[in-house]
Amino acid sequence: MSDSDETLLARMLKGDEDAFTTLYRRRQGPVYRFALHMTRSVAVAEDVTQDVFLMLLESGRRFDSSRGTLLSFLYGIARNHILRRIEKDAREQPAEPAEIEDCIGSDGVVDPMNDLTRREAIETVRRAIVSLPPIYREVVVLCDLEDASYEDASAALDCPMGTVRSRLSRARAMLAAKLEKKARLVKKTARIAYE
Amino acid sequence: MNEDPIQDLLRALADADAAAEAPPEIELRLTREFRSRKRTRTVRRLAWCASAAAVVLVFAATLHYRQRPPALAAPAAVEEVVTDFYPLVNPAPPFERGRLLRVEVPASAMRMVGLPVHAERLSDPVQADVLVGEEGLPRAIRFVKFETK
Repeated sequence: MSDSDETLLARMLKGDEDAFTTLYRRRQGPVYRFALHMTRSVAVAEDVTQDVFLMLLESGRRFDSSRGTLLSFLYGIARNHILRRIEKDAREQPAEPAEIEDCIGSDGVVDPMNDLTRREAIETVRRAIVSLPPIYREVVVLCDLEDASYEDASAALDCPMGTVRSRLSRARAMLAAKLEKKARLVKKTARIAYE
Repeated sequence: MNEDPIQDLLRALADADAAAEAPPEIELRLTREFRSRKRTRTVRRLAWCASAAAVVLVFAATLHYRQRPPALAAPAAVEEVVTDFYPLVNPAPPFERGRLLRVEVPASAMRMVGLPVHAERLSDPVQADVLVGEEGLPRAIRFVKFETK
């Protein structure tokens, strides 16, 4: 049976390099993908992954298993790095404000799966996720993309589970509205092209 | 397929990126960092031990010298050969003034700073100079050998 994350961490803190390597290989993927989906930047995802594990080397003793799993602890560190990066980027290159509120009230049923090819649809979802405000983005990425439990997400995001649930529900509604809007646009463009 | 198209798209995105991982260079960099930190911790621990040992030795030597009767005669035609100073505190704090204390320590103290000592001679007494800072903490040590001319 393989060692738990907590056991590996304890061994790592005593200087066991194999334990560190095992822990890194087991958990770098989720941390990397969390950063990648939050920022859509490979370079940032790499930096964040490295910083998270450096921080683990530096402050691994701060991990408290009563407050959540080690993975949620790593997500929490990653989140701090990512949010700092997003804020910095926003200061340096202010983005267009996301058209969230305009989209949410739209009526009519459009199934984006029928209007976009699957690959395009995936890219569209990727872009739509990044356009969400960070507090909504992070719950979608953790709960829907990384399959984190509400409990883990709550520990990582440092907020109650109820907040995770409500943010997730709101985030999915925002995404649906964005994708619906995109699908309508594609339909309209196609119609113009044919006419 | 999920009945909720959004959930289905999110699942598709998750599946598409499921294999995304950090490049191997990051693991290499982190492993190097891990080793370097481990080395630093070991050196610090050794320095701390050496420092603690030196404090005890200085104290013991002070008592010993106070109790020892004055030497009858200095050894004739003997030359002192000293090693370099080895720091006992890492990183060394700024040093302005201090004093040098001649003490007798077991040869195992030489091992603590990385000097070779034969296993059978670890408990042999050797002379050493301990550089003590103004605040009373030993900063560095050098070992003394007497050679007959």
